[in-house]
Amino acid sequence: MSEKKNNIPREWLDEFDAAARRPLEQRLRYAFIKTYKPVLDDARFRAFDTMEDYRRWCEENLPRWLGYARV
Amino acid sequence: MPAFEYRQAEEIRSVLQRHGVRYLFIGKSGAILLGFPDTTQDADLFVDRSPGNGRALVGALRELGFDLTEQQAREIESDKDFVQLKNGPFDLDLVFAPDGIERFEDAWQRHVNVAGFPVCHIDDIIASKQAAGRERDRESLPRLRAFRDYWLQQRKDPES
Repeated sequence: MSEKKNNIPREWLDEFDAAARRPLEQRLRYAFIKTYKPVLDDARFRAFDTMEDYRRWCEENLPRWLGYARV
Repeated sequence: MPAFEYRQAEEIRSVLQRHGVRYLFIGKSGAILLGFPDTTQDADLFVDRSPGNGRALVGALRELGFDLTEQQAREIESDKDFVQLKNGPFDLDLVFAPDGIERFEDAWQRHVNVAGFPVCHIDDIIASKQAAGRERDRESLPRLRAFRDYWLQQRKDPES
């Protein structure tokens, strides 16, 4: 095993190997989930002039626990 | 709205290609296409910002079933950095100026083709998440960086 791979935690390595064995269609089926996100999912369309505007809007409007605030 | 499906990814690929849209999958959806095992809610597209590409994108989105008003279409075609669409068959984020990536052309030069899906290189995906600096990104970055090492090694030596 390569040195780079040796530095990856065993659990993650197993997950990467397992994903690599799955066909793309299956990988995507497992990956996309839908759960309601308050505020974020409540508008059908939003556009922001700058990424800074978007980041600020997220911080000012979304619940903190969604994780969109900057560190 | 149900979760994004592979069939819809295929529709994005074929419709955007037919309309000649220059774009790349980015964010976690891009990483997942590269093989990163994780979950996400929507697809993120990094779109080349040019008037012609914007018009082509609006045409493609309408064909995919996004219900865009004229005003919304103009906003997508204009100089917005970020557009969030939840008015179609699936949720889609359009990113025209992702944090951490200077120019679309740079990302295009480095991009990876996964079964016909144009995807940002893992280094660009990591760079954009790192530059965004959100709590959710800070949590996912260590595992994403480990996946980068794995992915690069697999490309170099598929038998490893």
